[in-house]
Amino acid sequence: MRLFRAFAGLAIVCLAQMLLGQHLPAVARRCDLFSVYVVFIALTRPQRPAMLIGSGAGLAQDALTGAVLGINGFKKTLLAYLVGTLGSLFMLNHTVPRFGILFASALFDPLAELGLSLAMGQHYVFPAPGDLLMLGVGNGLLGLAAFWVAARLP
Amino acid sequence: MPRVLAQRKPHLLLFLLLSLNLVLMAASVRGVRGASLLDEAILSIAAPFLKAAAWSSDAVAGLWGGWVDLRRVENDNRRLRAEAGTLMLQAREAEEARQEVRRLRELLALREETGRRAIAARVIARGSAGPARILLLGSGTREGIARDQAVVTPRGVVGRVIEAAAGTSKVQTILDPNSGVAALLQRTRVQGILVGDGDGACNLEFVSELASVDVGDVVVTSGLDEIHPKGAVLGVVTEVGGTRDLTRRVRVRPEVDFQRLEEVLVLAGTQQANREGTP
Repeated sequence: MRLFRAFAGLAIVCLAQMLLGQHLPAVARRCDLFSVYVVFIALTRPQRPAMLIGSGAGLAQDALTGAVLGINGFKKTLLAYLVGTLGSLFMLNHTVPRFGILFASALFDPLAELGLSLAMGQHYVFPAPGDLLMLGVGNGLLGLAAFWVAARLP
Repeated sequence: MPRVLAQRKPHLLLFLLLSLNLVLMAASVRGVRGASLLDEAILSIAAPFLKAAAWSSDAVAGLWGGWVDLRRVENDNRRLRAEAGTLMLQAREAEEARQEVRRLRELLALREETGRRAIAARVIARGSAGPARILLLGSGTREGIARDQAVVTPRGVVGRVIEAAAGTSKVQTILDPNSGVAALLQRTRVQGILVGDGDGACNLEFVSELASVDVGDVVVTSGLDEIHPKGAVLGVVTEVGGTRDLTRRVRVRPEVDFQRLEEVLVLAGTQQANREGTP
């Protein structure tokens, strides 16, 4: 049931990301709802379901954005694992560590994609630092908002 | 052990999920040759096996092709041997026909030389007593052959017809001891009677002991027997013996090879009959 709810949440994230991309592309460039969702799940769920949802979220993102199928699945799976591992090692229940994790996830995403692209012999244009900063801040704020809303849901 | 596996389950799941995504990426990403990375990876792994399979296939195909070619060559060989046999038979038949044509041409030329009506006849049998003393011809009275007609070949005189039936006739050769042909030596014109000795040769009898006879002298017909044409070759003197009863013994080897005689010419009508105008 919890897994079903998690996948239902993933569907909502997909819909939201699509709507943002269509109607508010400037906002969509400054936040990655999939990463935020994966970090949220990894911090609130056990590691294994978090990895499954992370992989599903990444594949859904690949399908929606037209990226190479599997590349976001790989990144999000790894992200879920790393965040889950960090969550089991450190106390990440507070706002600042959560913001840090969300910010770091925004940096992790292009770094992982760069590595994968190099491994596959593909070209990859690394985002400008300013864009990365904006994305990290956006992810952090959005993630904190998600945690705040989730804490108030029944 | 199960505990260890349980502890490592997240890592195992991570590994599986990452692998799955890597496979998906490899399948989606195009390599430098236009094929997906998954295809390239699979091809790289499968290449040795594919090469081995191709090599095996080529080897089997080569062996099979060799076997098929061998069978084809064997069949060709068998067929060509049969054809060679047939051709050899045909060549022999052609050679036989060629020789027959040559003999018949010689007979025809002889027939024109003699100026007499001549009948070509095939020798169908030889008498069993002695070396071909008697010959049987495949032509007879139906073709115009009659008793006491001379039988000759381009080589020389064979003998005379002693019996004639409708389809066959019997010839007494000059080898027969009972035969007698009026003869003379071509060089000295000494006359005698050529008689067969019953042993494949002849003797020229009634030759005077004073006559000049040498080995190698040619003996021809004198025409006095009214059967054989004058001047036909009978044989060659091979031996000149001693004298007895005022005559010299002269041995003659016939020119005609009686063992290989196949066609002869029968001179229709004796000289006397020709003179009288009857065949």
